[in-house]
Amino acid sequence: MNRRKLLSLLGMSPVLLTGDPARAGQAKRADSGADSGQAKITAVNPKGMPPAIQLIPMAPRLASLDGKTVYLVDTGFHGSDMLLQQIEAWFKRNMPQVTTVFRRKAGPYAQDDPALWKEIKAQGNAVIMAVGH
Amino acid sequence: MGIPSAPIVTKAFKDLAILNAAKRGMPHERICFTQHPVWGKTPDELRVYVDGQDPVNQKPFMKEVVDALTVPLSDEEKKSGIVSVSVGPPTFTDTAENLQDFYLNNGYTDFLPIILPTQEKVDAMLKGTSHHPDEVVGKMAAGAYPPWSYTVRHVAASAVMAGCRPEYLPILLAIASTGIASLFSSTNSFAFSMIVNGPIRDKLEFNYGIGALGPFAQANAAIGRAWTLMSKNLGNGGIPGDTYLGSLGNNLNYNNVVIAENEEASPWVPFHVQRGFKKEENVVSLFRGLGVVPGQVARGSSVNTSPMFDEQLSDLFSTFTGFFGALVIADPLVAVRLHEQGYDTKEKLIDWLYKNTTQTVKDYKSRNYAYLFEYPQALQGVEPFATWYKLPDDAVIPHFPRASSFNVVVTGGQTNAYPQAANMSYGVSVSIDKWM
Repeated sequence: MNRRKLLSLLGMSPVLLTGDPARAGQAKRADSGADSGQAKITAVNPKGMPPAIQLIPMAPRLASLDGKTVYLVDTGFHGSDMLLQQIEAWFKRNMPQVTTVFRRKAGPYAQDDPALWKEIKAQGNAVIMAVGH
Repeated sequence: MGIPSAPIVTKAFKDLAILNAAKRGMPHERICFTQHPVWGKTPDELRVYVDGQDPVNQKPFMKEVVDALTVPLSDEEKKSGIVSVSVGPPTFTDTAENLQDFYLNNGYTDFLPIILPTQEKVDAMLKGTSHHPDEVVGKMAAGAYPPWSYTVRHVAASAVMAGCRPEYLPILLAIASTGIASLFSSTNSFAFSMIVNGPIRDKLEFNYGIGALGPFAQANAAIGRAWTLMSKNLGNGGIPGDTYLGSLGNNLNYNNVVIAENEEASPWVPFHVQRGFKKEENVVSLFRGLGVVPGQVARGSSVNTSPMFDEQLSDLFSTFTGFFGALVIADPLVAVRLHEQGYDTKEKLIDWLYKNTTQTVKDYKSRNYAYLFEYPQALQGVEPFATWYKLPDDAVIPHFPRASSFNVVVTGGQTNAYPQAANMSYGVSVSIDKWM
C-alpha cells in the first residue's frame, strides 16, 4: 500500500500526517510566498466524521489442508466461476487430498448469504472466494 | 465466520481490496491477487493465471492461496481493539491562495476553484436553516464502505465551496439527510439526478424554462455542484482507486442532472404530488443511473405532423438497462402533445411504455446487468426474473421489470418539442421544508 492510500485509509491528508495541525493549512508555505505579507484566513474543514475501526482478529489458520474441505465461493462477478474451476482442477492435480466444494453465493455480489456461511462453518474447513473483479 | 479464508482479487483492485479490508477491521487480511481481467478469458487463459505468479506479491499464485489458509497468524493479524480515525482539525488557517491549493490537493474539491469556506461564510450559510450547526444530519457511504456521519456545519461548508447562497442550504440538508452520494464506488461510472418541486423553485430562481438542464441559473448550477462536493467530503467519496472506481468516469458528476419541474406548463400533476406530497410543499427527489440521451435520435422523430412521442420514447429505451429505470424528461410541448394523444395522466403514459417496450428473452439474457444482478435473483425465485429465465429465447418480455421502473418529469422552455430520457431509477423524495 502506498503512502497516499494509507493516508486515505486513515481519513487523513498527507499534510495532516505531519502531526502538526498548525501546518495542515499551510501546504505550500515554504515556496509560495505565504509569508510575504498576504493576510491569513481561517476556513472550515468540510470532511465528515469517519467511524472508528473495530479490528477483527483473523481466524486461526489450519496446520495443513490435508484431508480438509475447502469451499470455493463464486461471488457472481463475470468469470469467477471459471477461475474457481481452474483452481479446483489445480487442487485435483497438485493436492488431491483436499476436498473442494463449489458454491455460487446467493444473490447479487454485494448481498450477504448467511445460509452459505452457516453451511461452510458446519461442513467446511476453509474458504477461497473469487473474485473481486 | 471463524474459518480461514483466502479472498482472490484481480490486481486492478489491489488498493481497493487492501483499504476496504482495513476499513472493515482487517488491515492484514491475506488477499491473493490474480491477473486482470478474469472476465472474458478462456479456461486455458485462466489456467495460466492459476499456474502463474501473484502479480502483486510476486509469488506463485496457488502458493499464496494455500499459505493464506495455513501459515500461522502473526501478532498483528490477531489484534483486536478500536482504531480511531482523524480527518484533521476543524479549521485550517493560511493565505487564501494556499488554502485553495490545500483544498484542491487534498481531494476536497471537484478540481475547479471553490469559494473558501471561511468561518464567516459558513456562519452566513448556516443562517439558511433553523437547525443547529452541530446537529447530525445523517450518514453517507461511498458505496459499500462503512458510512461517515456529518453535521449541518459540514454540509454548510460544502455549500459555500460550491457557490451556494444561504437560502439553498435546506435543499442540501434534505439531500444529505438521505445519505445518498452522487459519486458511487462502482466501476460503472454512475450518474445522478435530482428533481426539485414546489414554490421554492421560484423563490430560489431555479431555471425550468429555456435551457433548464444547462448552466443558466445559480440555483441549478451551485446546488448540483454542492451534491458532488458533499459526496466527496461528507462520505469520503470520489477518491479514484479507493472510493471511486468508474472506469471512464461520468461528466454529469460535475453538477449532476438538476431538474426543476416546470409545473406551471405541465398538463400533469407535479412529480412530488405523485409521491404523496402536497403541491405547496417543497420536495427534492433523487435518481441514480447511467446517463441521459436526447429524443432526437429516436426512430420516428423526423415526422412533421402528429408526432408519436410514446413510440419515440419506447424506441429510446431499447438500449437502456432494465436494472435502472427510465426517467422521461419532457419539454412541455412534448407533454402537451402526449396529453392530446390521450395520456391525461403520467400513469397512463407509463402503463403504455411498460407494456409496449419489449425485448426477446435472448436479448435480455445477453445484457450485462441481467447477468450480474437479475440472474442471481432469478435463482432465488425473485419475480419477474425467475419466470423470464425459464422462458424460451424467442419469448417476448417487457424491457423493464415493472411499470414503476418509469418516471416522468416536465421541464424546459418550449422552443421545440424535444424529450430527453435518462436511464435512471427513482430513489427517494424528501421534504425540503423540514430543513428550513
